[in-house]
Amino acid sequence: MNPGLIFRIARREFLARVRSKAFIVMTVMVPAFLGLYMLSIPLLARSGTRELRLAVLDAGTGLGATVAERLRAIERPHITISETLAIDAANTAGRAPLNAAIRDRSIDAYVLLERADAAPARVRYFAREGGNQALMRELRLAVQSAALARLLAGTGIDSDDVRRAQQLDLGVVAVSDQGEREGGFVVAFASTMALAMLLYVAVLINGQGMATAIVEEKSSRLIEVILGAVTASEFMAGKILGVVGSGLTQLAIWMLVSIVALVQAAPALAIGTSVSGFDLSAVLNARLLFYFGVFFSLGYVLYSVLFAVVAVTCTSTEELGQSMLAAILPMVVALMVAVSVISNPATTMTRVLSLIPFFTPLVMLARVNILMPPLWEVWLGIALLVAASVASGWVAAKIFRYALLMTGKRPTLPELIRVVRA
Amino acid sequence: MTTPALLCRQLIKTFDGTRALDGLDLTVDPGTIFGLLGPNGSGKTTTIRTSLGIYKPDGGMVQLLGSADPLAVRRRTGYLPEERGLYARMKLQEQLAFLASIRGLSIAESERRAAAWLDRVGLGARAQSLTRELSKGNQQKVQFAAAVIHDPDLVVLDEPFSGLDPINSRLLKELVIEQRAKGTTVVLSTHRMEEVEALCESICLIHHGRAVLSGRLRDIKARHGRNTIAVEHSGGPGRLTEIRGVQRCDDSGREVRLRLAPDANPQEVMRAVLDRVEVASVRLDEPRIEDIYLETVGSPEARS
Repeated sequence: MNPGLIFRIARREFLARVRSKAFIVMTVMVPAFLGLYMLSIPLLARSGTRELRLAVLDAGTGLGATVAERLRAIERPHITISETLAIDAANTAGRAPLNAAIRDRSIDAYVLLERADAAPARVRYFAREGGNQALMRELRLAVQSAALARLLAGTGIDSDDVRRAQQLDLGVVAVSDQGEREGGFVVAFASTMALAMLLYVAVLINGQGMATAIVEEKSSRLIEVILGAVTASEFMAGKILGVVGSGLTQLAIWMLVSIVALVQAAPALAIGTSVSGFDLSAVLNARLLFYFGVFFSLGYVLYSVLFAVVAVTCTSTEELGQSMLAAILPMVVALMVAVSVISNPATTMTRVLSLIPFFTPLVMLARVNILMPPLWEVWLGIALLVAASVASGWVAAKIFRYALLMTGKRPTLPELIRVVRA
Repeated sequence: MTTPALLCRQLIKTFDGTRALDGLDLTVDPGTIFGLLGPNGSGKTTTIRTSLGIYKPDGGMVQLLGSADPLAVRRRTGYLPEERGLYARMKLQEQLAFLASIRGLSIAESERRAAAWLDRVGLGARAQSLTRELSKGNQQKVQFAAAVIHDPDLVVLDEPFSGLDPINSRLLKELVIEQRAKGTTVVLSTHRMEEVEALCESICLIHHGRAVLSGRLRDIKARHGRNTIAVEHSGGPGRLTEIRGVQRCDDSGREVRLRLAPDANPQEVMRAVLDRVEVASVRLDEPRIEDIYLETVGSPEARS
């Protein structure tokens, strides 16, 4: 293999990829969406602070007044109780005036408290539109508190103490060889998914571009000219290096923009640990970035080889479209496994999956992020990934030599197996 | 004796049980323009690809520029495939420089030669245009430039004239002759017999994967003798086919060419022609390569 020739093929492929519209659009879009997402957090938080006009309708529970009092105490959204009505439990027509009030917008919603057999009350929320999760939680707590106050009346126990006892928070601290790290499910989920998606999107865009280029080179017979100058293995190595280079460039741009955005814009937008549960230091620690770089690069090589092999066995772009699933599927499965790893980072299944090269980039990364595995496991995963990349490159080179000049007819699977064994 | 630029002996190549090359023998002398002829599907492209090392032969041997391994001398060869392919979204200058650079030229030298060749084929002003913005004929000129930009010792041109207008066709012919003058061996695969007549010194006619006729064009024609009568006349050729001693009659509209049977007397046939039609001119001619081609592969026994 001639490194100079590989470099020249890689250079052309790299330039073709980074100049393509898909690359430019995605390189700009991803940080733009990230920015929009970050902007939307405080905006959404603020949007929930508007006034809510509420009526309380008590159908025989006797909790109406206390519930209304508790609701008034809610800070966000600010709730105004327009009226508290008591109706007979059997009076089904009693709700009619309140429904009319909702329709003519004199109130936003009303809460109906009804008697229930096994519970202090059956609570229903009537409104033009369903309330958000946070509001529903507040309403539930208000009714719970009212019911609790009645239960505890005269027992000498402070109902607020009971409530505080019920609202105990559970903090999660990951302990590993590197020490302790606080952070909950949200942080781990968000950062793991974000990194996995970056890899997925980058491989998809650049890998697909390369695959299309290979099919075009084949169908236009340009490949015959190129193969008159370089070997199939040099051609393949150049292609993959070029596409990996473009992927790493894209990643570098995204990382740079993200870091600048987080460091510069986060304080200005008042995004801190208090708002979204997003801990900057948890997302952007050096160790995670290092492993992300390693897994991104190696995973990129492995998946790119897969894209190249699928492309070389196709004779037209239509065929490529149908066959692309074969290249994308391992990544999709790895992504799904990575999601389950977040919930079960220490199971045997997870450990095994993280050492299977096609899953390692995403699954081991998820493990590193959530519950740092023993160092030897991480490096065994990396070593296996390197070995698999080399082996798949070797297999791919054989397939390339065989399939690169085939037109009109696709090589069959038994043919390819024979070629690889030869 | 000089080493042939290309030598094939008993070359065999099989695809899915079908023999595309069936013991092909071929010798191309260095510094000549060599015509590779044959009907569609006869094995010309397979011969080219096997000779250049793109395909591995299933039997026989290839010696390219003195090397038994064609891939070892790939930098000294150039190739213009029949199917025209260039990177559609690449600029001409960049494209040509890339194709030169993978042939082993330095980046700077590739850039310099790319610019010079674009000027030479009349596309210097469009160096920064994308390839897809060019007409088919202009793309073909760029491809020709790509095939010879690195000054190869041997260049293979598969149907280089197809789709070209007369001006570009003449330009390309000049460029081919220029290559030969520089000492480059040119292997020309084409169906255009007038180009073969005008350019080639030697030919090989391939049929069913075998060389059915090969050698110097002059010798081949001499072997066939002056056995053709060319007639310019008014009226159809119908009556001429009835003349005794006429084996075959090809009417091109302006001229009718009568191929004589081996035992025919040309003088008698010419007299018979003058008796039958109003003649503008009549002459005894050597066979054209097209006549030889048709006679060799166009006969019912050859077709089978």
